[in-house]
Amino acid sequence: MELPLIQHILRLILSATIAATAVAGPSLATPAKEAPWLPEAAAYRLTLFLGNLAPVPWDKVEQAWSEPYRGSEFSVGAFDRLDRESFIDVSGVTEAIEKQDRQAVYTAATRLIALRIEEELDAALIAGDPASAQQAMAEAKELYRAFADHIKAADPAAARTLGRAWLELNNAAGSTGVLGAGAKPQDSDAMTAARTVISSYLTQNYLVDNLTPRQTLNAVPETIAKTGRPVDLPATLPPGSDIFDQDPLPRLVLNFEEQGIDETDLPLIAYGDMLFDSAEIFGGPARELGIACSTCHNRSDINQRFFIPGASHQPGAVDVDGAFFNPMFNDRRDDPIDIPSLRGLRFTGPYGRDGRFASLRDFSRNVIVNEFAGDEPSPFMLDALVAYMTEFDFLPNSMLTGDGQLTETAPDAARRGEKIFNRPFAGMGNQSCASCHTPSGNFLDRKSHDIGSVALGYVGSRTGALDTPTLLGTVYTAPYFHDGALPTLASVVDWFDDTKNLGLTEAARSDLTAYLETIGAADEPYESFDAVNTPFRLAFAELTTFASTLDTLLPKRDAEHILVLTDTVAADLAADAGTMANLSARPEVYTLANRLADVGSAVRAEDWEAAEASWSLFKADAAAIQERAF
Amino acid sequence: MPHMNRRHLLMLTSAGLATFSMPVLAQSDRLRLAFIPQENPEKLLGDIEAITSWLSEEIGVPVEGFVTIDHAAAVEALRNGDADISFMGALPFVLAEKEIGAVPLLSEVYRDAPSYTGRVFVRRDSGFKTLADLEGRDIAFADPISESGYMYPLAEFERAGVIAGPKDAEDFFGRIFFAGGYQQAMQAMAEGLVDAAGASQYADLLLTPLQQSQVTWIAESEAIPSHVVIARPELDASLRQRFVNAMMKLNMPEHRDKLRYLYGPDGYVATDPSVYDGVRKMAQRYGLL
Repeated sequence: MELPLIQHILRLILSATIAATAVAGPSLATPAKEAPWLPEAAAYRLTLFLGNLAPVPWDKVEQAWSEPYRGSEFSVGAFDRLDRESFIDVSGVTEAIEKQDRQAVYTAATRLIALRIEEELDAALIAGDPASAQQAMAEAKELYRAFADHIKAADPAAARTLGRAWLELNNAAGSTGVLGAGAKPQDSDAMTAARTVISSYLTQNYLVDNLTPRQTLNAVPETIAKTGRPVDLPATLPPGSDIFDQDPLPRLVLNFEEQGIDETDLPLIAYGDMLFDSAEIFGGPARELGIACSTCHNRSDINQRFFIPGASHQPGAVDVDGAFFNPMFNDRRDDPIDIPSLRGLRFTGPYGRDGRFASLRDFSRNVIVNEFAGDEPSPFMLDALVAYMTEFDFLPNSMLTGDGQLTETAPDAARRGEKIFNRPFAGMGNQSCASCHTPSGNFLDRKSHDIGSVALGYVGSRTGALDTPTLLGTVYTAPYFHDGALPTLASVVDWFDDTKNLGLTEAARSDLTAYLETIGAADEPYESFDAVNTPFRLAFAELTTFASTLDTLLPKRDAEHILVLTDTVAADLAADAGTMANLSARPEVYTLANRLADVGSAVRAEDWEAAEASWSLFKADAAAIQERAF
Repeated sequence: MPHMNRRHLLMLTSAGLATFSMPVLAQSDRLRLAFIPQENPEKLLGDIEAITSWLSEEIGVPVEGFVTIDHAAAVEALRNGDADISFMGALPFVLAEKEIGAVPLLSEVYRDAPSYTGRVFVRRDSGFKTLADLEGRDIAFADPISESGYMYPLAEFERAGVIAGPKDAEDFFGRIFFAGGYQQAMQAMAEGLVDAAGASQYADLLLTPLQQSQVTWIAESEAIPSHVVIARPELDASLRQRFVNAMMKLNMPEHRDKLRYLYGPDGYVATDPSVYDGVRKMAQRYGLL
């Protein structure tokens, strides 16, 4: 029985893979949600992903099979589920993992998935009723998903044949009807014929004793792999990844905006805003996956849910110099860091957790070129990014003055805590908390200190020094420390008390925590939405503002920067339309996105007249649908 | 598609039903709700506990909930008094109405409406503009007993005059596939495995953002009543009214958060048997009623 509910549709979870959004055309900053993975299919995809990291994190490969993937709907991992649901011997996989033999793991895991598909297809064919047959087929199809996108990339004709076979199989399985009505009998011959198509392909391509060794582990069919023909595989994130926006969405405080200045009157800043949201400035998998600056630092804040297995040790953290984003920049150290907030950025230099970059411009270039494998950005692009990012302000906090003093609205406990904050402690070299977190200087001192929070890489190293972070807005940026090791501000107080022998009483620790929670608070930390003021409306306003820079760029005939803009904004506008509450206005938004794409196409063809015409149409259309754009 | 283990469901069902095996035909001192699982039964059990405890407080009698294996089991539970209330789609309801005299109480509201539609989707680049363009082409539907994923979209071909009735569909199309769900039907269309898909008006949201921008629809059905909360006919009138009153409170801002425990609609409106006249006619047209 198909469920008609929109909620059920939404709960089914938008099915197509993140990869599918990235196969063709410009990258999208709006990722597609993934349908939940079956544990063994998830373990396989995680094995491929982790097996391509250097060095291979074998502990995580083992976990991929023994534990549920992060966010899994299943309470058990792949091995436990197989033990319960399957007769297939998994020792090949376990032994290969134990030996840390990459090729053997790959071969055994690939065979395992293919055998599982066969096992479920067997169950479907011998099932006595349509419901059981469809249950087994659905399972087989979900397992096939572990191979599907790579088959499609490597062997599109076979992907189509197999796609039709799956359709035939489901169709031939019949239907139980509902309450005794509408039953449709099985067609066993048709089921067998369709199954044969699928099984033959699996036999030739996945149930192979010795799969061709591959430099990059993938699910490319063996018959294609052994030809040596290169296959352009879509970049994918493994199950458990999360690159979605924060919920609730942090409030963005831009200096110019608070002063009532319209961003469309600030083309350099508006272009920088666009670049901050653009995956086009990155390269490699980040670009394909639609990862932009704003993916981690959305709304100038931190994305506490960001998580990529193998690159993140916990949500809100990432190793930006690992093997995934840019192998050239891989430092071969498993050292993910907690994503820092960019609020008040112009006051928080130097940049990087250890303050390695004095200049925000240099830091930004390093992010683009080295961390995320992008092309060298133009001076204009760096100027624009810096111009935009230096507009990020701290969240207003009525309990705090501009020079870091508590106002009358601050609670008494915070006042008591303030005194402790300013008190020198012998355990801290007769310095106080305020010595580094200077209240009148946005609670930082722009220096690096080794407070003993970093596990040293080698004996005698001086690599423990980290840039003093601001304490403003920290109520909303948990967890704390460079690696996010401490979950609460109270635990930060406890850490200092314990490691620096501060000798604080429980009441004093509570007061000091209250002080941190007061100076780290905000009057309005999050955006508020309603039926019409929706996240899409916010996105629509942003994207049309980005586009407004064409008023400056088109007269200058600046093709390079126009194309970055049109490729980014046209794709994002179309992708974001899927999030609209006002679904009936979606076709208009698609048309609007096409107008902008037309600007790009005309510029590529050096037809500036056509570009100007499409841009005029875009502006007219955007104004016309603004009211309905929610 | 979330995996649903049939064996697991059976276990849940037997465990759930075991607790409620006493006949309760005439009882008005407690209320029993039969839930048909849509996806993760483990989650459903947690949801049931949350909503029934709230309903107990509101109604003033113990409210208990359990999971049934399918519609037939829910209707059977209503028939023999093991359940007083259940939740199901409009088609199963009209069948249950005929079978046991089930009474519709409340209709789910989504996006401000207690109804939805079925649509015929095609790829934008296909060039198909009308239903007649699909003659000889392949189409995927969700399921043969899906209102929005088969019956109502196919009826649009009849209304457009390109087929005389459901039985002519095989001759009109190249192939008809029942893909197993909206998502499967839509993916088959979006990927070019078939030329069109018949599915719920919201089914394109199951595609990727890129795919969504690449598909459109060329026909939309008349309104289909959304899921319905039903009662067994013998349920005590006062208890039924108190249940309806409590459920209507879920529309209030302070209680809206509990809707997520009940298949997650945006709210409920009162409904009556006349709302389902169209569904009954449609069921008759397809020989289901």
